Amino acid sequence: MEAQFESTDEHYWNRSSRAAFSFDDDDEIDVAIDDGRLGTGLSSAIFNDDAVSEASFDNSSALGTLNHLSIKSILSDEALNLVLQEQTLDDHVMPKGVTPEEELKLLRRQIQSTLYSPNLEATAQKLLHGKTVPLEMFKSLHEKEQLLDTLLVNGGDAVIGVLLFLKRTLNATQFHNILQSRPKALEHYLSYLRQSGDVSNYIVELQRFGRHQEAALKQFQSALACSDLSTRKQQLQRLIDAYASAGVGVIALYEQVFSAALKLQQLQEKEKDIVAVLTTQPTPIEVLYGLCTQHKNWKEQDMLKLSSPQRFAAEQDISPAQYEWTAMNERAHAQAYADLECIFERVANWNPLKPKQFHISFDLALAVLRLHELQAPNTVLQLFLSKMSNTTEKLALAQRVKCIKAVIDAMVGLKQQQELLHLKLTLPERSEEQFYCENALKTLQSKRWTTDNIKLKL
Amino acid sequence: MDASVTLERKLQGFQLVAQEKLQAILCSIPGKKELILEPELIKPLEHVCTASWLKLKGIQRIYKYDVKQRLPRSADQVHIYMIRSQLSTYQSLLRQMQPLAMETPHESTDMALQLFHIICVPSCYAYFHMLLEQAGLWGLVQLHHYNWDFIYLDRGVLSLELPNLYECLYLQNNTSGLPAVAQSLRLLQMLCGKPTVMLSFGSYSTQLVQLLQALGSVPEPSTAADFGAWIIIDRDRDYASSLLTPAIYAGLLLEVFQLRAGEILIDNAQNKIESQKLKLLQGKIPGVTPKGKTSVIRLNSACDEIYGDIRYKHFAQASSLVHAQVKALGLELQKLNDLQLEEMHDYVARKLPKLTELKAKVLLHLSASEIVIQMLGNYRRLQALEEDILNNVSRKRLLTEIDELLTTDGQRYNTLRLFCLMHLCVGVVPEELQSFARNYCNLFGHRNLGVFQQLAQAGLLPMLLSDRKTSTKLLANLPLPKFQQTEFQANANRLKLLTSSEDAAEANAASNPQLVLSKSCPSFVFNGMYIPLAAQLCSIMLNTNNAEQLANKLAMIEGLQLSVAGQAYTPKSYASQFKAATTIVPSDVFPLRQRNLFVFVIGGANYAEIAACDFVAKLSGAQITVASDSILAGSDLIAAAFNN
Repeated sequence: MEAQFESTDEHYWNRSSRAAFSFDDDDEIDVAIDDGRLGTGLSSAIFNDDAVSEASFDNSSALGTLNHLSIKSILSDEALNLVLQEQTLDDHVMPKGVTPEEELKLLRRQIQSTLYSPNLEATAQKLLHGKTVPLEMFKSLHEKEQLLDTLLVNGGDAVIGVLLFLKRTLNATQFHNILQSRPKALEHYLSYLRQSGDVSNYIVELQRFGRHQEAALKQFQSALACSDLSTRKQQLQRLIDAYASAGVGVIALYEQVFSAALKLQQLQEKEKDIVAVLTTQPTPIEVLYGLCTQHKNWKEQDMLKLSSPQRFAAEQDISPAQYEWTAMNERAHAQAYADLECIFERVANWNPLKPKQFHISFDLALAVLRLHELQAPNTVLQLFLSKMSNTTEKLALAQRVKCIKAVIDAMVGLKQQQELLHLKLTLPERSEEQFYCENALKTLQSKRWTTDNIKLKL
Repeated sequence: MDASVTLERKLQGFQLVAQEKLQAILCSIPGKKELILEPELIKPLEHVCTASWLKLKGIQRIYKYDVKQRLPRSADQVHIYMIRSQLSTYQSLLRQMQPLAMETPHESTDMALQLFHIICVPSCYAYFHMLLEQAGLWGLVQLHHYNWDFIYLDRGVLSLELPNLYECLYLQNNTSGLPAVAQSLRLLQMLCGKPTVMLSFGSYSTQLVQLLQALGSVPEPSTAADFGAWIIIDRDRDYASSLLTPAIYAGLLLEVFQLRAGEILIDNAQNKIESQKLKLLQGKIPGVTPKGKTSVIRLNSACDEIYGDIRYKHFAQASSLVHAQVKALGLELQKLNDLQLEEMHDYVARKLPKLTELKAKVLLHLSASEIVIQMLGNYRRLQALEEDILNNVSRKRLLTEIDELLTTDGQRYNTLRLFCLMHLCVGVVPEELQSFARNYCNLFGHRNLGVFQQLAQAGLLPMLLSDRKTSTKLLANLPLPKFQQTEFQANANRLKLLTSSEDAAEANAASNPQLVLSKSCPSFVFNGMYIPLAAQLCSIMLNTNNAEQLANKLAMIEGLQLSVAGQAYTPKSYASQFKAATTIVPSDVFPLRQRNLFVFVIGGANYAEIAACDFVAKLSGAQITVASDSILAGSDLIAAAFNN
């Protein structure tokens, strides 16, 4: 292996994304990397990604003060030795300077505990300290159970260690009995299976212990994780069928999402070109966005075509607010402002003859702000602003998005004649806005003689 | 042992111990050593040692661990891998090493001459050996424990830098990580002595205290103990302080920027908030993406005096201070024009370097706070919403508002976080969760369905049950939540944590008039809405005069345990011990003679907590050190449920 690498060494370093960081300023180590290459491109930026991190590794001023502090001044030798000794994995090493008699005693005790009667406390203690301990002498079921129970009190990684030992040395029935009667142990075992990525066993164990909801979830997730579209679809279908016939009952939410996911896969299969522009596994809203881009006729609701946004929204149970928001963003993005009105039009269900009404499922102000962000023209903003009922808010918002006409409308609504006059002066001569302002002033003045004054006289 | 070493220096001394430990491992391995690091370990390791230190210990080169390909090794090299003790990482490393098992069987299997080593941080789990054996690598690879213990991030802030402990403990009920934490606390006892009293709150905290005792006694320092009391809290006992949006500078920085081992990465192109949103609905015109320029701020008051000044200040105050600094610096630099030539020389040589350094720092904070302002957009609205949730005002409107936020400004973690806060404070019924989850999955994809189950496991959302089970207990499903308090509210009221609700304000005014003054209340970290539990427990511990008083203050709260001289008590049983004192009992530990406190949060502390504790410390002239396994913002906590 080495010889092989020697010949390709140079080549390897040139193509690989790997680069070592050499500490040597004077290039003692003969790696074909110089500082220039380290700083660029693919070389892994260990310890030298930028000046700041370099400084921090070369010990900053804060850490530098530690030079005055010695380990002796904070920790006694005894304590330090204990710390270092506890870090080692096995303590079979004989302490130095032991007399032969003592050594014999130690060895006897070791043989005793490894071959004949297991010492429960000592084993638990060692496991707690993270030492390697042979477990083989725990032979009888009772001993095994005792060991597990002792460890469960304090917890720790040893619980999983012992569980795996039990699994190896007991048959399935016994092992499951032990898990069944110890919920904490079960949690540890499940967590182990989950982290180890052993999905099929994880699901089997979940089902065995009656946790069907979690099992269903996990199956669902692993189905979605398939990279191939058609297998994804098959697996989802199988999952839905299995739970429909199994009779264990799955949470309503899960059921809904499972079938929605299946429908989404089916749509993706049929409308490949729409979905192609999106990410590999688009979310329903992303697909909706994609469908909106393709959709032509916004005047009428189309519930028949599979790729119609309205139909998709209904199928996926996308809330009206989500539908409106997505469509609004997409249309504004495509600068198809004329369609915006259609999105927010509703025909009253109970009376189809009534004229269409403007209906919005979220705060109008948010819509205006977003449209402004997307650089929608003022006429569009004015249209949305005109639907606002609270005139004070409308004025503030119109000023914020710099929609002059809406500002004028709002001022008329608030009867702010003085402010209107001021505004008129700031507007450019003979601009459309100025005429609009003048007209507004005229109507306001003509109205001055109506209701308010009459009321006053009365 | 030196009695003159201050507490702060001792805590910094953890670094020295970590170096000793690492040295012991590295020096036990003979040969030409190469270190292969898991990328995530680099930043925390920088707090332990320098690259030149590693070289001194015989490491010739350092590589990043690459999951995809194995590093080739020449005959005389020894490879030392350093990874986190996560099963998946360990397994993939073993898979990568698999070819080794096939080749060169004649190689010596002498323990001293192994050519491969794996150092697991913070501990090598017992079953790792078994997996090694199964992979056929026994004898070829040697395993090691390495725990760097507490990393001193900033004055009063320690972190173990164990990012996945929250997930393991609270989402999977897997306690594998606890012994390593107990070991670190044990080291703290060796450095700073045993506290007179330990207060634990929550099941894992109690377990940790037990573990600490089970590990055996330690040689204590000859000097007096540095901490009067330790307070150990489970994260799930105070979710609110993680879920609420903090109002202080350091807290908000963490909301927006990614934290890695005590420093944040400021990137103009992307940040934590933006990456939570769906790209298509961001309302941006394409083509105007700002250029990615990254810089780093170290959250350490010793290397950044500006940060030190403003870290725990209210954000508005902090950002105006930064602006003032910018102005002041501008004036200072203008002076340069009026100087004589000689003066100029002197100025350039002596003052200018300092000024430019300061300027660079100020500008970093300026740009950071600008991005924060930009990202948090409608912060006032969010605060108002959170306040209403906290005080349970008009539940129906709260739900619609969260729903509207999800639709118009959906953030993967933060919107869910609001919903979790809602469940915590008000209680969400399964039907409400169901409709929220539908909308959420529509926006972020069906694959996130498992998240709701995970969060329910952590107690942040209600458990969903299948119809069959729910139909049997119709009565429980009737919508009658108005008269019920959630557990959170009951405890929060008992401990007087809610400061903005009216009756709480009155209660406070009656019992403790000076608390109501907004200036002197640690709730400023949440704009006066809420006092983090850790801070409140600290002030209770510091202001208690005898056991009886403590028992009264902490009455009715379940899960609290006092541990004095190795004995476990509830606050009540500890107090009653003195009443019925027929035999000789050791004297009452309250009031605490040593006024320094150590707070440990299991499952991630946050800056709001830290700031509030700092405030309590200043108010009572004590010193409070807050430590945790990691520092997490609320969104990081929620993000843990998204792993796999």
